[in-house]
Amino acid sequence: MSLFSSDHKAVARGYLWGGLGFLLLGGLLALIIRWQWAWPGQPVPGLAWALPESRGALTPPAYTAVFTMHGLIMIFFAVTPLLFGALGHFVLPLAIGARGLAFPRLSVLGFGLYALGGALVLASFVVRLGPASAGWTAYPPLSTPAFTPGLGQTLVTVAVLCAAASAFLYGLNFVVTVVRCRAPGMTWGRLPLTVWGLFFASVLNVLFVPVLAAATSLLLMDRLLGTQFFIAGAAAVGGGGDPVVYQHLFWLFGHPEVYILILPAWGMVGDFVAFFSRKPAHGYRLTAGAMGTVTALSGLVYAHHLFTSGMSPLLGRTFMVLTLLISLPAEVMYLNWLMTLWRGSVRLTAPMLAALGSMGVFGLGGITGLSLGAVATDVPLHGTLWVVGHFHLTMGAASFLAVFAGLYFWFPKMFGRAMHEGLAKAHVVSSAVLFVGVFGGQLAAGYAGQLRRLYDPYQYTYLKHLLPLNQWTSACAFLLGAAQVLFVVNLVWTLRRGRVAGPNPWKVGTLEWTCAPSPPPAGNYDPVPVVLRGPHALSQPEVLEVLGKDWIGQAETLPDAAVDAPALDDTGDGRSLGVGGVATSGGVA
Amino acid sequence: MSEATGSAPPTGAAASPVTSGREADSALLPVDVERPSAATPDTSRGAWTLSLPEDASAHGHRIDTLLAWSHRFELMLVVVALGWMVLAAWRFHQAKRAAPDGGTRRSRAWVLGLALGAFAVVDGTLLLGSEGYLRDVLWNFHVPAADARTVRIEVNAHQWSWEARYAGEDGRFGTPDDVVTWNDLRVPVGAPVWVQLVSTDVVHGFSLPHFRVKLDAIPGRVNQTWFQAAREGTWEVACYQHCGTSHYRMRGVLQAMSPESYASWLREAGRQAEQSFDADDSAAQWGWEWKAP
Ligand SMILES: [Cu+2]
Repeated sequence: MSLFSSDHKAVARGYLWGGLGFLLLGGLLALIIRWQWAWPGQPVPGLAWALPESRGALTPPAYTAVFTMHGLIMIFFAVTPLLFGALGHFVLPLAIGARGLAFPRLSVLGFGLYALGGALVLASFVVRLGPASAGWTAYPPLSTPAFTPGLGQTLVTVAVLCAAASAFLYGLNFVVTVVRCRAPGMTWGRLPLTVWGLFFASVLNVLFVPVLAAATSLLLMDRLLGTQFFIAGAAAVGGGGDPVVYQHLFWLFGHPEVYILILPAWGMVGDFVAFFSRKPAHGYRLTAGAMGTVTALSGLVYAHHLFTSGMSPLLGRTFMVLTLLISLPAEVMYLNWLMTLWRGSVRLTAPMLAALGSMGVFGLGGITGLSLGAVATDVPLHGTLWVVGHFHLTMGAASFLAVFAGLYFWFPKMFGRAMHEGLAKAHVVSSAVLFVGVFGGQLAAGYAGQLRRLYDPYQYTYLKHLLPLNQWTSACAFLLGAAQVLFVVNLVWTLRRGRVAGPNPWKVGTLEWTCAPSPPPAGNYDPVPVVLRGPHALSQPEVLEVLGKDWIGQAETLPDAAVDAPALDDTGDGRSLGVGGVATSGGVA
Repeated sequence: MSEATGSAPPTGAAASPVTSGREADSALLPVDVERPSAATPDTSRGAWTLSLPEDASAHGHRIDTLLAWSHRFELMLVVVALGWMVLAAWRFHQAKRAAPDGGTRRSRAWVLGLALGAFAVVDGTLLLGSEGYLRDVLWNFHVPAADARTVRIEVNAHQWSWEARYAGEDGRFGTPDDVVTWNDLRVPVGAPVWVQLVSTDVVHGFSLPHFRVKLDAIPGRVNQTWFQAAREGTWEVACYQHCGTSHYRMRGVLQAMSPESYASWLREAGRQAEQSFDADDSAAQWGWEWKAP
């Protein structure tokens, strides 16, 4: 079975089912949190079996466990594994014309570690003294045994280490694969933007996941071996470690993690906007360069998470400048997407709607982050639901919609069957709208001062008037949860009796659609294609004239032009991206 | 703040570091009994208007103005970005012809120019505005240090309450007339209030939403901040950093009083403290050296 195959497509399927399962679990936990904020202390329907003593009502300890596990599961076991484990493993080798990943057995090992971590997370729910409850960031000393003695916290710490090891392994594997295993002719300038996104994010995995592993390992030693790396203070034990060191280590990973989650999404949005506008991506090199710039800056902005930790004014000012700086490449990339749509022939397919939805929620999320980048405006908003709404829009909603854009796009390639377009469109459009409702409501509540992670926000007089707003936001969240049924129905129906997809249902030229059958066999390509042009060779006049279609495969020769076809990429001067030589030499000779 | 952090030697010969026995003590204190009456609710604010908590501080309006500018920019960028996206999808939906290129030199220059322009205006305003506030207020401890009226408070965060210490009438910490309160901060209107913040157990977040004040309380560190009440009233003290199961109940009340009633309160409380002072109760005596700017 697939678990024992080292083929990248089989590993991808393992991550897909695992990631979707944890997405369901993490989503249900989110709905429980939303229930608590709409009806504090009221029994949650259907939860009486888990919390018999309170007849299903959340208690403060249960609530802290729920929001801790929601964050951990979503980041480490749902969204990252879906983006890299499922889509990355499946698409990356195919898109660069490789027969597989550079280290196939390493990817199996990585999946094994992810599965082990997932099992530990599930186990942590049922152990003595309860699951983890120190928040997903697990700040010490709260996360040390003195304050969180439960075995669950230890299990989850090990689980995060497992997920980190797995992420490091596929990061390394992807970097080496892109550097070493590209098909002949697949130059760096011809990589699909999805591959660029996965590549840069993998670089970040390799660089910063070890920092998480370091922080987590030291914390684990504090928990198990009695060390005091993060237990400090004049007050508590009279010197020793320093809890702030953990915060620096954690966010030195934690902030790049935001880009780890969003770079593959950016790549997919860039590709899909070009594919479904039927024209080459505007400013391909600028976009790839902007993504690279964000990657380079990502580790240099982390300390804006610590603006209120009492850091030195020098550090505060430095990180404010660096944080604001990172918005510049993001703007360049965003404007390029918008320019790609302009003067295109826009096809609103399900993947395109999901990509546009991702673009929309990412725009909202990015913009609401500006006020968090400057120290003065961060102060009133720090630790409030404004922050929660902001990062849920960017790394929650935008990544989620990109995952589904990718899934709807590559599903025919993965399983040979096409998902139902109508259901898929209804799913992504309703999800995008409801995401804005949920996280927009959070932004409003946070702006009014509602702090994060409060079991009962209405204990504070100044937050009492926010109850109706929170109820409305929760209603949006329940509808959002219900909308996911559309995907489940579509998935089950398609796998059973979906219509067989054609070889190239989206009519695009990337290698996986033009050189491999659906689903591709082990080894992907026989023979390995020779790449002649970039990924977005759409609506080229000479192709239309010669072939009568508006796209051409990356490895497809154009009959008449084959003669002079050392096929340059003309992204530099902006004419005829990918068709090379033809248009610049004045049409078909 | 580098000058506000670092090691924290206890002040005075009598004071000693708070030991872990302190937790047992604080557990004995019935938090609900100690809790003062409710603060003024934000009745003027509807749930549906995007508005900050009422500003009761002398300097908060500078942050609020900058934040208002930030929201104007956010609105403008949303309208441009999402409006452009929707317009393009609508106008070019299924268009017969699509441009066959990835842009011209000119169109790419426009992208770069637009991005640079937006960046310079939006981020530049935030950066300069923020810098001004940091220089004049947030990181300018010369103001409370130079002002003779300044009130100093030592705040010690616990799971789950705020313990505050006032120097009393003699103006010196570590003397028998030190006033200690629980979840009950009192400050005079119009005078700078200089807060020295520590934590006994886990990381807490000291926040005065109506004064635009937020600062972490971290074990092993002494952090400082200052603010100034603009008018009399009662507001809330909140913990913004997850600090355990009862984090949501780590609520205090701050009363901004007229300087006269503040002085008489401090005099009376100091007198009571002196009467009940127990020199052998080392756990009740804590404090940290005040770092000057
Ligand atoms: Cu607290």
